Amino acid sequence: MFRFIASFFTKLIQMMLQVLSSKKHIIHNLLSIYVKTSGGQTVCLDIDPKCDVSHIKKLVAPQINLQPDELKIIFAGKELADDYVIEECDLGQQSILHVVKIKSPKLNEVFRCSTPKANLSPLTESLDYSTFSSEDENTEKPLERKAHFYVYCPNCKGLKQGKLRVRCHFCKSGAFTVHSDPQDWSHVLQPKQITGTCENDPEYCQELLQNCEPTFAEFYFKCSEHVSLGECDQAVPLDLIRPNLRHIPCLACLDVPETMFTFPCQKDHIACLDCFRSYCLSKLLERQFWQHPEHGYTLACPNGCLNSFIREIHHFRLLDDDNYDRYQRFATEEFVLRSGGLLCPQPGCGMGILAEPDCTRITCQQCKYVFCRNCLQGFHIGPCDPVEPSLDAQGNCDVDLNCPVVEDPSRTTIKVITKPCPSCKTPTERDGGCMHMICTRSGCQFHWCWVCQTEWTRECMADHWFA
Amino acid sequence: MSAMSPSERRLQKELMSLIKDPPPGVTVDAEQAEQNLLQWTIFMEGASGTLYEGERFQLQFKFSNKYPFDSPEVTFVGSNIPVHPHIYSNGHICLSILTDDWSPALSVQSVCLSIVSMLSSCKEKQRPHDNAFYVKTCSKNPKKTKWWYHDDSV
Ligand SMILES: [Zn+2]
Ligand SMILES: [Zn+2]
Ligand SMILES: [Zn+2]
Ligand SMILES: [Zn+2]
Ligand SMILES: [Zn+2]
Ligand SMILES: [Zn+2]
Ligand SMILES: [Zn+2]
Ligand SMILES: [Zn+2]
Repeated sequence: MFRFIASFFTKLIQMMLQVLSSKKHIIHNLLSIYVKTSGGQTVCLDIDPKCDVSHIKKLVAPQINLQPDELKIIFAGKELADDYVIEECDLGQQSILHVVKIKSPKLNEVFRCSTPKANLSPLTESLDYSTFSSEDENTEKPLERKAHFYVYCPNCKGLKQGKLRVRCHFCKSGAFTVHSDPQDWSHVLQPKQITGTCENDPEYCQELLQNCEPTFAEFYFKCSEHVSLGECDQAVPLDLIRPNLRHIPCLACLDVPETMFTFPCQKDHIACLDCFRSYCLSKLLERQFWQHPEHGYTLACPNGCLNSFIREIHHFRLLDDDNYDRYQRFATEEFVLRSGGLLCPQPGCGMGILAEPDCTRITCQQCKYVFCRNCLQGFHIGPCDPVEPSLDAQGNCDVDLNCPVVEDPSRTTIKVITKPCPSCKTPTERDGGCMHMICTRSGCQFHWCWVCQTEWTRECMADHWFA
Repeated sequence: MSAMSPSERRLQKELMSLIKDPPPGVTVDAEQAEQNLLQWTIFMEGASGTLYEGERFQLQFKFSNKYPFDSPEVTFVGSNIPVHPHIYSNGHICLSILTDDWSPALSVQSVCLSIVSMLSSCKEKQRPHDNAFYVKTCSKNPKKTKWWYHDDSV
């Protein structure tokens, strides 16, 4: 019996190994790519990654009625030289190459001679992080190290490795060659930094621009971990996530991570991705993100460095889905408050409401709660009640004809446990015995008294510091 | 070992460096800290030439799993609480780096050094003026207190 089981498992394992190796075989030997012509025709090719660019030209030429030497192949902003092996450029399955007819063979010859061969390798490979960090000149350039870009992929819904691509800023065609390599992130993230030649329809593009400006390259990123879904399939670059080539320790756990989050400060403060997540989470739960006028709801370097706000808020996608939802909710609420609006005080609602400045009777469009703008309690006629509004709430309610007759018990609870910050009106909960409140909303931080609902004073300490 | 959270990894490293290279007059109860990385006891001697010369104090550090993004909770414990204008008789310390001015760049070591220098610069042994009232009314956790930082010149 035992022997039977043993031989069964041996067979099973062999079968599994076979399946695995044959799968590997397929992935290794076939690369499906598209070659797009300037006329809009697309040729699909299954190629051996070991073949070179001249081989692709031979495959494509007959299909578009041209000779192989009349073609040039463009990928990621560079023309690929004939002897370039496909395996060495980081093509993924279903990548798109662009093929254009050489307009004037003579001109092309000049271009070829003046361009060193090294420049004909794809852009993604020539961009290296050691060229990006200019401060440290002693850093040894890692040999043959490929650049690693990280992106948020909306398709895979997560942090993935990305690939840099380039196209014509004007007509968006990928048949575009750059005149120079981007040297740092600003060249890639800001528009109109690098010029180039649109090979798609140069006359058209130049004419429309009326020669008042050169044709510019436009850079964008793709996710390297899913099969390309075509030219519109883009990912958001997370430029602050980088390989830790200089072995800087994480500012929180002090480990030296392989991949790091770089804070945009001048002091090389970095965190491992785990600690970055934990930093975001602890700040988020305390509502300590900052509403920056340009970058949005964001954070700065945890060590408090000046001007170190994170510009690309997609970096907060590193939070898990629930907390990213929470981030978006808080960001919206913050935006509403900044724009002079207010938030529905009902627990679990929190709807942002923009009301006329002189209107004190507010109706939430979402949960239909009707409340007083000034004290965020159920709507009442007459002045707001400065003391604990527990027993007379029912009485106030009867006066207001628009107020629902039946008092929702959860409403009574909220009346007792939250009061608005007297300065910014953010609903605040009181959890401890102390009457001294400090608004946790970043930028407010108002010290106030739960009892008086005014600024906290020495008198408050003496009279009712705690209940 | 690999199951350690980032805050435990950080505390482990801080503990090692504090054992190996402690600031003068400071010792950590290593055995206790190794058993529970989230709560340490640190002994501190009053520096010679200061009002606290010859005295021995005991500090308690409590850490949350958000450390170092969240500051440690630090109090004097035991029978001898230093008499100092920023230290309440229940052991709470009024020191801004323990709340508002905390940053992950600080450490147990830098907190100890700040407390040592706070003690050393004291000119007159006395309790804070609101000591009796504060001790009666405050929360157990000093981090829940919204401190007005006393002027730092003392
Ligand atoms: Zn993807
Ligand atoms: Zn174009
Ligand atoms: Zn870390
Ligand atoms: Zn920094
Ligand atoms: Zn509502
Ligand atoms: Zn009111
Ligand atoms: Zn406020
Ligand atoms: Zn008061």
